[in-house]
Amino acid sequence: MPGTIRSVSLVWVVLLVCLSSRRTSVGAAPICTNGQVGCHVLSLDNLFDRVIQHSARMHGISSDLHSEFEQYFLPSKNQIGRVGRICHTSTIITPNGKENAQRMAREQLTEVILKLLIAWRDPLWHFHQSMAHHHDFNNFSSNKALEMNDMVHELRQGVEKVAEKMQVLGIISNSVTSLASPEVLLPSDSADWRLMKDYDLLYCFRRDSNKVQNYLKILKCRIVPNHGC
Amino acid sequence: MCQHQFYVAKPALKSVTVCARMRRDLRGALLLLLTAAVQSSSMSAPGKPVLLSCRSPEKETFTCWWEPGSDGGLPTTHHLYYERERLEGTYECPDYLSAGRNSCFFDKNHTSIWVDYYLTVMASNALGNATSDPFKMDVMEIVKPDAPGNVTLRVEEREASPCLHVRWMPPSNTDTKSGWVTIKYELRVKKDNSNNWKEYTSGTQTHFSLYSVSPGGVYTVQVRCLLDHGSWSEWSNTTFVKISNYLQNERPLSMLISILSAILFIMAGLILIAKRKSVKQWVLPPVPGPKIRGINSQLLQSGGSDDVGNVLIIKQSFPPIYFVWEDQMEDYLIVTENEDWLSSNSQKRKKSLIPACFHFDSEIHSKESPCHQNDWEKDEEISQVDNNNKPFTNTGYVDFQRNVENVDVKHVDYSRVKEVKSDNIIFLEKEKVQSSGYIHFQRQEGIPEDYSRVKEVESDHLVVLQKQNAADLSCKDEGNHYTDCALHKPRKPHVCTELSDSGYVDTIPAPPLM
Repeated sequence: MPGTIRSVSLVWVVLLVCLSSRRTSVGAAPICTNGQVGCHVLSLDNLFDRVIQHSARMHGISSDLHSEFEQYFLPSKNQIGRVGRICHTSTIITPNGKENAQRMAREQLTEVILKLLIAWRDPLWHFHQSMAHHHDFNNFSSNKALEMNDMVHELRQGVEKVAEKMQVLGIISNSVTSLASPEVLLPSDSADWRLMKDYDLLYCFRRDSNKVQNYLKILKCRIVPNHGC
Repeated sequence: MCQHQFYVAKPALKSVTVCARMRRDLRGALLLLLTAAVQSSSMSAPGKPVLLSCRSPEKETFTCWWEPGSDGGLPTTHHLYYERERLEGTYECPDYLSAGRNSCFFDKNHTSIWVDYYLTVMASNALGNATSDPFKMDVMEIVKPDAPGNVTLRVEEREASPCLHVRWMPPSNTDTKSGWVTIKYELRVKKDNSNNWKEYTSGTQTHFSLYSVSPGGVYTVQVRCLLDHGSWSEWSNTTFVKISNYLQNERPLSMLISILSAILFIMAGLILIAKRKSVKQWVLPPVPGPKIRGINSQLLQSGGSDDVGNVLIIKQSFPPIYFVWEDQMEDYLIVTENEDWLSSNSQKRKKSLIPACFHFDSEIHSKESPCHQNDWEKDEEISQVDNNNKPFTNTGYVDFQRNVENVDVKHVDYSRVKEVKSDNIIFLEKEKVQSSGYIHFQRQEGIPEDYSRVKEVESDHLVVLQKQNAADLSCKDEGNHYTDCALHKPRKPHVCTELSDSGYVDTIPAPPLM
């Protein structure tokens, strides 16, 4: 009798450990390095699908938060502020159309994606902090901000894996520098984002998340074209 | 002045033509002034135009529309100017024509995604300008695709139920190959002329199968699509298809069989209902229940309590007598007063039947009807032979009554009267009667009841009664039963026995007759 109880409790503990470990890495399954034994290696196609799904989700959350802010603060949509909004990522040169994106080299495109994701790491963290301290916002919005922050982090990791895989497969050259030293990619005047108001920050992030999603799709259909394109 | 110059030389001709022109101009100016003077109240600068909306069908180009204000009575032109984020300068709309009136079309070269556009429309006429409010937009936000095209319906007629296959094409201007946009579809179906649309999500597939369709209906299908996070398109043109009803006629044989079997069932049911009694008897045969002989159950059910009692009185008692009567040997008790008769008739012992000729209603006893008319005749003869004796009535009978509830049961010995020979001779049965039984002796048809004292018990079955004398009547007259002592033969006074109310003959407790 005590033996069975012990085994049952052991099983439960193992299950709990497994579940908790799964929760920490939402959406991104552990990707194996070449040396690991017994690890299921995902195909590039599969990896791309995952990161694209992830980016779509991230853009959705950012859109929701942005529309919520619009309700609360009601900034006039037709403000003549032509110079007004400058996102801190505007220094990063991004293709602003389909043809431009298609014309861009794969490595360049991958780098652009990574630069964007890295650039948003700190601002989103601080945004989440400011939301948590402001009691104007309900828990729902605060949770979304936190989720957004986590997603940027995970998406960046995912795209790095994809890039790594592509390099391994020889699809792209090893010129992608982001993997080596991410800090290099940060814009020099990185403190610009501190001057941005929350609403502008959300507006910029909504735009950038859409860019990331589109670039990833273009990249995928160029590298591994299938019926999903 | 001009006339004078007419006669001047050649260089003067120019001045002549100039003069004519001047006249024309003067006339024109005069006219203008006049019209202006007339219409000066209705002419004005144009009204302010309003930018309505912009739309990009595929996230590569976009179109904007505006609504002009009043034109102020003068021909008014509109111009759209825009400024763009990250682009210096103000530019005019590249194409006013492709999208129709009051619109501006931006082709691929002039379209940039993820940048803000600031648009204004200026209306101008001879008298002035009017500028609309600035309109800010980003192409990313105004994506609304065209409706899907080429919606085709195909009915697949399967055995159980038909199904409807819907196919369509993505809108022609969207790019589905490069992955630039992801198209999601939705379709809606309605049956016949109802207004209830049923919606289905198709994801990114360009086909869909409907299984919840029934034959004999007209189905209308519409499809719409969505690009990434944009707005839904308009619904496509309606396509409808009629699903034929032929499936219902496909199996006439099975229908015929089902109808025939239904008719058979109904007929069988009717027959069963018509013959339910016999069916009931066959299924649940009647269990023979206990029947008391002589009791007519119908009489019991219909009759009153008195009748029941009478039935019980009559019916219950006689049959045993009868049967005992039949089985018994020809022993009988002769009750007589005349000793001569006794000696002379000792040989002529005949079996006579007490009128126990009762007709039983029950089936069981009807067979054993004891009525034999010749027996009675015999008795008659016998009685006539014996002149000493009065012809005894053939209608006297003995009633037996079982008085079960009698508390005071006199435990005395009683004997059943077997035969009444004359008015003073009684034949008793040999067998002893139950002590609770009573013997009720009664004569019918106007013969007054008559009680005689027992004079002598001759043997164990012969009782000699006392002849009554009127003078000897010293009996108590108690009730109706004891009347007319005077009408009958005199009695010996000292043999007066105690007569009970019920009219019984109480014998002196004697040793058992048997």
